[in-house]
Amino acid sequence: MHEEIAIAGTGGQGVLFAGRLLAEAALLEDREVVWMPSYGAEKRGGSVYCNIIISDERIGAMVVVRPHAAIAMNLAWTERFEPAIKPGGLLIVNKSLVPRQLKRDDIQVIYLPANDLAAELGDDSAANLIALGTLISCRPVVSPSSIYAAMDNMLAKNRKRLEFNKRALNKGLEMAPAKISPTTSSSARPHPRATSL
Amino acid sequence: MAKRVLMSGNIAAAEGAILAGCHAFFGYPITPQNDLLEHMSRRLPPLGRIFVQTESELSAINMVLGASAAGFRAMTSTSGPGFSLQQEGISYMAGMELPAVIVDVMRAGPGLGSIGGAQGDYFQATKGGGHGDYRVLTLAPASAQEMMDLTMLAFELADKYRNPVVVLADGFLGQAMEPVAMREPVAELPGKPWAITGARGRPKNVLNSLELEPADLEPRMQALVQKFEMMRQNEVRYESLDLDDASMAIVAYGSASRSAMTAVHMARQEGLRVGLLRPISLFPFPYQALSDLAQRVDDFLVAELSFGQLVEDVRWAVGPNHRVELVNRLAGVRLSAEEILEAIRKMAR
Repeated sequence: MHEEIAIAGTGGQGVLFAGRLLAEAALLEDREVVWMPSYGAEKRGGSVYCNIIISDERIGAMVVVRPHAAIAMNLAWTERFEPAIKPGGLLIVNKSLVPRQLKRDDIQVIYLPANDLAAELGDDSAANLIALGTLISCRPVVSPSSIYAAMDNMLAKNRKRLEFNKRALNKGLEMAPAKISPTTSSSARPHPRATSL
Repeated sequence: MAKRVLMSGNIAAAEGAILAGCHAFFGYPITPQNDLLEHMSRRLPPLGRIFVQTESELSAINMVLGASAAGFRAMTSTSGPGFSLQQEGISYMAGMELPAVIVDVMRAGPGLGSIGGAQGDYFQATKGGGHGDYRVLTLAPASAQEMMDLTMLAFELADKYRNPVVVLADGFLGQAMEPVAMREPVAELPGKPWAITGARGRPKNVLNSLELEPADLEPRMQALVQKFEMMRQNEVRYESLDLDDASMAIVAYGSASRSAMTAVHMARQEGLRVGLLRPISLFPFPYQALSDLAQRVDDFLVAELSFGQLVEDVRWAVGPNHRVELVNRLAGVRLSAEEILEAIRKMAR
């Protein structure tokens, strides 16, 4: 297994945390892993990116150029990821903030209303974990139980947040296309492999 | 197997220093190594060790000098602009024969440049970046694990040779998190009978670098030269990958070598017989390994995040009868495996 994943959005959306959880979960499964953030004048509201490489082999290049899968939490990163994803790959678009249909028909695109779903749970700051849940449901690079265990380790001091985050992850897992009924407005779907939630 | 912990290269270097018995850290914040310094500020005081955030990198290196002269394992960490300021102190420590560890997490330059990862401090770190005739041992990690392991080795070699050792990393390695197998703490530190510890019951120790009489300075300097020669004989380190049947060798260190490793795999899938030689010690440089390799490899491709510095050592090592070409990116721009692969294809045509 060798999987290259990118997660990006706006500072404050929990992009780095979601990536870190994925990397910690991969380590718990005893895989090789790299978590590489963009860094610089990062701040709340600025642009934030990280990539995660999970492999059974020693990992070479640390920077991902063409990800197998990506989560775009905002419009700017949706536009950057669309041409970059490897053919056959996956792009999860945060539909709550990105009112756009993509053109690529050789990748799976999931339009996930991550902020709206998180708000329904009670706090839209968990949009990152909903997207992460959907990601690992569509591409099982790590098992949900490893993400739970990574959360247990990272949020040991904040039980309340921990339980909420698990609910958000579960919500994301449920939103994977195999588990939802097809969208009613088929005209909104640009191609057969795209799934609008 | 040792427990593996996900940590950034910067934190791994800090933890390696702690395991190696680093008693005192002096430093001034500069991206992309800030989390190393920040981590030390949290970790050292509860251990009863010293952390000082100094007013500049210049004072940091001179505090390292003082702590080292008093017999303590001491270090600083910085990036390009701070590393330049520290060259004076490093030269003094080489002249005084004082051990020290300096971690330089390189960023793009010259001048203030930018905070992106780069490898432009190569000449400065490997050729003796300050004034006078001296060298520092220079170790080049290529993973978070090596950030820990080579920082520990740096302390060992610094004491062994009584000389500064530079751990030459870059912003990509400093920031990326990878699994690190935790090492055992160093149980026993070497004695330092030369240290300035108060001369009660023994003749006084003098540590200086000033010797105005040429006839007296020359033997001291010759002793230094001999020491650098010993380093050349004993401390060459490198890794070979897929070189056994190679007709082309890539030479790369640090994070550039990681992209090169992937490029080698991709090239092999296309049937190109390519391998990688990764220097781990940059001084001493693996000249002999490269000139041996040149007996059976035709072409050399140097991948670096600087404008052609490493390539000069490779050209020197393999001589004028080989093609040596450069693939690089500057200014904090990443060098991808795909770009290196393209350079391999071009050279193989």
